[in-house]
Amino acid sequence: MFGWFVKGATSRVRTTRYPAHDETAPGVTPGRPVETTCDNELLAIGLAATCPTGAIKPAAFKTTADISRCVHCMACTRGENTMSWQADYRWAKWVGDNARRAARHRPFRKSLHIRVVDTGSCDAVLSEIKQLVKPYYNMHRLGFFITPTPRHADVLMVAGPVTSQMRLALLKTYAAMPEPKWVMAVGNCAISGCVFAPSFIANGSVAGVIPLDVQVPGCPPPPLAILHGLLLLTGREAEMPPVDQPLGGTP
Amino acid sequence: MTILPALFFLAMIALCVTGATLSACVAQHRIGPLLAVTGPLASLMILACATCVLITRQPMQIDLWHLPLLGLLRLRLDSVSALFVLALGISFLPAYLFSKSYMNRYPAHYNIRGFGIFFHLLLMACTLVLAAGDVVTFLFTWRLMSALATFPITLEHRQDEHRRAGYIFLAMNEAGIILATVGLLLMTAWAAGHIGFAALHQAMEHIPDGWRWAIFLIIFAGFSVKAGLVPVSSWLPRAHPVAPANMSAVLSGCMLNFGIYGIIRFDAIIMAPITAGPGLVVLAIGGLSALLGILYATTDNDLKRMLAHSSIENLGIVAVDVGAGMVFDAYHMPTIAAIAWVVAIYQMINHSAYKTLLFLGAGAIDHGTGTRDMNRLGGLLKRMPVTAVLFLVGALAISAMPPFNGFVSEWLTLQTILRSTELASRFSRVVFALCGASLALTAALSVTCFVKTFAMSFLGLPRSDTVRTAMESPPSMRLAMGILAVGCIALGLGATWMVPLVDRAMTPLTHQLAANALVPPFFTLQHGNAQFSRGFLTSFGKIGADVGSAVIPARSLVVLHQGQAANPVVYAMSTFYIAAVLIGIMLIVYLLVRLTTRRRVVRVGEPWAGGLRRLWPDMSYSATGFSNPVRVIFKSIFSPAQREDSQVAVAGHFRTAIRKPPRDTYIVDRLFLLPLVAGVKLLAGLMARLHRPAVVNAYAAWVFIVLLFVLVMNRLF
Amino acid sequence: MTKFPSSELRNFAEQCQSFGPVEMLPQSDSLVAVVNCPSEVLKSLAEFLVHSLQYNFGSLVVEAPPNQWKLIYLFYGRENPSLVQLWVYLKSDHPRVDSISDKIHSADWHERQAEDLFGLVFTGHPRLGDFVLHEEWPEGVNPMCTGFSATHPVKEQVVDPAWRPARILETPGAFLMPIGPVYADYYESAQFFLETVGEDVVRMIPRFFFKYRGVEKLAEGQPWQRVLLMAERFSGTSAIAHSTALCAALEQIYQIQPPPRALGLRLILAEIERIRHHFAVLSDICHASGMSVPSAQMDILEEQALRLSGQCAGHRYLYGWVTLGGLNRDMTLTALDTIARETQLLAKASATIHSALQFTSSFLDRFEGVGAISAAGARELALVGPIARASGVRTDLRLMLPYGPYAQDTGFLAMTEPLEQEGDGYARIRVLFAEIQQSVKLIDATVAALPTGPVRVEAGGVRGQSAFGWAEAPNGAAFHYVRLDAQGCVQRYQIATPSFANWHGFHIAAENFAFQDFPIMMASFGLSIAESDR
Repeated sequence: MFGWFVKGATSRVRTTRYPAHDETAPGVTPGRPVETTCDNELLAIGLAATCPTGAIKPAAFKTTADISRCVHCMACTRGENTMSWQADYRWAKWVGDNARRAARHRPFRKSLHIRVVDTGSCDAVLSEIKQLVKPYYNMHRLGFFITPTPRHADVLMVAGPVTSQMRLALLKTYAAMPEPKWVMAVGNCAISGCVFAPSFIANGSVAGVIPLDVQVPGCPPPPLAILHGLLLLTGREAEMPPVDQPLGGTP
Repeated sequence: MTILPALFFLAMIALCVTGATLSACVAQHRIGPLLAVTGPLASLMILACATCVLITRQPMQIDLWHLPLLGLLRLRLDSVSALFVLALGISFLPAYLFSKSYMNRYPAHYNIRGFGIFFHLLLMACTLVLAAGDVVTFLFTWRLMSALATFPITLEHRQDEHRRAGYIFLAMNEAGIILATVGLLLMTAWAAGHIGFAALHQAMEHIPDGWRWAIFLIIFAGFSVKAGLVPVSSWLPRAHPVAPANMSAVLSGCMLNFGIYGIIRFDAIIMAPITAGPGLVVLAIGGLSALLGILYATTDNDLKRMLAHSSIENLGIVAVDVGAGMVFDAYHMPTIAAIAWVVAIYQMINHSAYKTLLFLGAGAIDHGTGTRDMNRLGGLLKRMPVTAVLFLVGALAISAMPPFNGFVSEWLTLQTILRSTELASRFSRVVFALCGASLALTAALSVTCFVKTFAMSFLGLPRSDTVRTAMESPPSMRLAMGILAVGCIALGLGATWMVPLVDRAMTPLTHQLAANALVPPFFTLQHGNAQFSRGFLTSFGKIGADVGSAVIPARSLVVLHQGQAANPVVYAMSTFYIAAVLIGIMLIVYLLVRLTTRRRVVRVGEPWAGGLRRLWPDMSYSATGFSNPVRVIFKSIFSPAQREDSQVAVAGHFRTAIRKPPRDTYIVDRLFLLPLVAGVKLLAGLMARLHRPAVVNAYAAWVFIVLLFVLVMNRLF
Repeated sequence: MTKFPSSELRNFAEQCQSFGPVEMLPQSDSLVAVVNCPSEVLKSLAEFLVHSLQYNFGSLVVEAPPNQWKLIYLFYGRENPSLVQLWVYLKSDHPRVDSISDKIHSADWHERQAEDLFGLVFTGHPRLGDFVLHEEWPEGVNPMCTGFSATHPVKEQVVDPAWRPARILETPGAFLMPIGPVYADYYESAQFFLETVGEDVVRMIPRFFFKYRGVEKLAEGQPWQRVLLMAERFSGTSAIAHSTALCAALEQIYQIQPPPRALGLRLILAEIERIRHHFAVLSDICHASGMSVPSAQMDILEEQALRLSGQCAGHRYLYGWVTLGGLNRDMTLTALDTIARETQLLAKASATIHSALQFTSSFLDRFEGVGAISAAGARELALVGPIARASGVRTDLRLMLPYGPYAQDTGFLAMTEPLEQEGDGYARIRVLFAEIQQSVKLIDATVAALPTGPVRVEAGGVRGQSAFGWAEAPNGAAFHYVRLDAQGCVQRYQIATPSFANWHGFHIAAENFAFQDFPIMMASFGLSIAESDR
């Protein structure tokens, strides 16, 4: 055991410095397509057609990208005409009405207790949530904790397209949480059902079942994006900061 | 004044006989109400009788007949007997009240009329046993009592289990009576044929050691059957669950006391202890009974059988006290011996109170839900709130929680055992130490046992449908249990009043008063008690011990266990102060909670169960599960043999059922009763070989041998 | 008959005739025997395959009518590289067939699944119902049948108040400890009922499919490109394995062969995925036994593997690479160098941790002898992957049915195959560590010998109808069955996943155990519920 103590004590601190500083290590995020100018409308329509999930919408002389539908298949980066790719991760955002947000914004500023509910997610989303409590992201330093019981939870983190067999459990978990409570949808399946919608067995979105407050898009969203969502809830980070310099090239 | 107890006594007999006669006449459905009228009246009569004897300290004496050959038959109720009569009344009075609605549950084809007759007469027989003043009356009434008790136990005679339990009760008690008879006849033989207790006592002073041991062992064996001590306790866990609740309450609440009465009367009073040996035997048997009793009680899930095992435990503790008293007396430490004996009686009276309460509570649960299986109960607190609270009082009392009565006697028992360090013999000290360890374990397990009982019966979710629709018990049952609950609290809070009373009554045995050592009057005396230095008194005054005595004129509010000059450690405890502090703390907590949560909006939701559709009752801890750790730890006691689970599988791999083997054999049956039965059968088999109907000569030879034997014996003595 | 190079398969073909009117179909080739098998013969033939010829039951594919029911029982050889498909046709109005699971235990869940989803009746199966579809699903509605709309939500039925989960422990005082579906921290949703009489748990009854997303139904009528997205995403931690298996099936239908460079890259990606998966499982194992430092060390390695994927492949879970005919894009030389270098470092670090763990008695105490599965048990339940290998059963598809890049393997896999005999938690840990080393060596060798050239061949028209593709996912063998129409749209898709096979066997490990060992057993199995539930 002493050997492990030494091992632990002599290991380098690897925790990211986000949110104090940007995380610039390679491979922390798959990035996302962003608004791209096109020479003409035809090209824009052609570019939009490469997207299998309809995340890219053509407009006059440009295409817009909806991150909450993007599944990171990168089909739009392979043709002659490509989407611009932004390797950031601060893409969590508020949803729901503003009054609700204002009413809910006050109670928590520092610490949050989180109950994670898996409503049919792929393993990857849960794996990324798991990374949050692990050395590289260590959200405990920010006052965020995972709790096993919804009775102690402030935030309900939902992953997966809300299958009908999990709906009851989700509702019960939400009901078991004390007020005030927030709901966070993690991953595109929880937001829109992703590739699993429309479906006979999955509701396709958390918002259709319980009131949603924050969504973290991504397939799966990288840990930093989830962290951004949590910071957003406590008011310690702003929503979608303006695009600054790209952190890496297109892959 | 001396005529008063006798009048009460005769009134009781009259009431009992009237009740029995009326039971024979009135309609079946009126028997219950009848029991609830005549019974309590008769019980009040004997309570009055006992109180008179205790207050006046004049034994009640009625001479019956002067029989030729045997001598004078006499009823004599001295103060020791009066204490037992008190316990009798405490147990019988509520049991009779309880009968009013309880008897309705039995269908018409059961003989409730017979139950009424015998239940009425049982009180009379019990009182007569305690009032017997000579060996013949004693044995006769004892027999009568055992015979009368058998019928109420086997009320539901249509069930095999009940009949078998009745037979075992009868057979074991018969064996006990035979042993006791042999022992008492040996005593009378030494007393030159005198049958009066006083004469016996005188004769016993000059008895040789070998005979003393023999008589002690025979009598002790005989009476421990009645007291339900190990290893002759097999009848208890069988007879108690099958008897109607009012009967099992009486059976446990007072009939077991008769075993203790026999041991005290014959092994301690009549045959005053001279050597430590007999005391140590009683002590060791008591310690063993206590431990085995509570182990089985903890793991048993039938409410009444659990209570029966718990009775073995409690009577074991009483036996420990009696044994300790005998040892201390033999070592010439009369004060501590007196304390031990007083504690024994106090523990016994307490046991009568709370065990009757618990048995009636079990009966009320059975009446309300139709089951006694804790695995099928649950959630009764919401459905039977009054019963639940009353049962809780009993459970707290029996698990020796302050400020209830069980705490007083258990605390004093352990303190008395600690005083064994002053004994001269190392062997005795070792026996005491082992016994003390066993009692400490017992005390801890009894808390486990009753936490389990209360939690599994009254808390959580209902585990079966009948429990879900249970109704609160009728008023007569609640009244009966209420009286006992008040009794438990009173015996706890009023320990300082009760102890001197018991102490004074026990003088035929103790020959001196222990009250000064137990509840010294120093706080009530102006200038302090001469036994104590002023410094000691003021230090006790400083911690506030005399605050209460200024308000309540009691002998003292502190039960004290005082050391000797060489060992001046003093242990003190006061249920009264504990109660006051507890109430104060609870009040403060309540106020604080109210104050802090005044503005809080309380939202009542369903329990969180991991998003489960709903929590099924079998998803909460079962009684078996709760006590399983005890079972695992004491595996060697419960089941020495490994048994395989039986599995039902389709096609060899789809398991459709896993069955665990049923309960193991009771250890006393396994190690004592069954081998005994096997031995007797073997012997009988050998004897049966003599029965060769064809060989007449053999019979003639046997007759001749027996005749020769008798003649030789006659010649020798 | 000369088609079969494998002597066992030839034997089998000859012996088939003795069972009844069994017909070898022309779809058979050197690897696959396709047998038209009347339903009366099915049971004896399947029994012969499994118990005499050492085949594992792989999958049960059901093709619903319009015309007739077609059931494909897939078996794969443990001893010899071959597949056997038994095709059973049933009349469309008579959806009944004898259950084979009383003789072949591993078919149990496959039959229950088919019963729930198709309404097929398996006569003689003792435990049907309440499997995929739970109590709120309307009675008599079978979602996989033709005519059922994949996109239209179903009206749930009112649950019968008397409904309750099954119990098999019959003893007074027995009770259930319910776990889930929402339980500790961030675990996947599933329900476990622990049957106990206090202290020791006698038996565990799992209930899965809370996460059932109906991937196979959703795939119907969709173009293969869309189905591929789902195949990657239904179990995100084995995206490469499942997309490779699907593409392998598609490539058989289109009759194309991916170029060598694509195969090599597929291998590299698959092994990176395996390494990351094993790191995560080992971290959970350390975490479950309260070893926080080793757990954190494994976490560091896991995140390093994730970042390596993100850096070199553009996605932390390697989505968007595998496609029909090869890969979507090529990997740069720098990226390959980084992968080779970094994986070496990871291997070294994990070896250090492994050797330190071997001397940590408090860790070993929790795993030695816990959740043991005998080799016979592993064979009976056709367990796959590291769990089977820890029990001494060889089930590595890379070796047994070499596919894609592994077909060129010249004995390296066989030489380094980690096999342990004990079958307990500790054996599984050793297998996981050994597989990490094996994978890194594979990556190293492949990067060094990676040919240049294109990474994708264009697919022509659809040539075949249906095919099985397979891959060795991190958890074990995965089989994907796909049938296309002429336009390249998927008509029928079925996945047999390793987690599905292994969860079925979990109960023999989770029997008569102490309650506190439950998380340890769960962790040492390291299975995915998303993969099992689909």
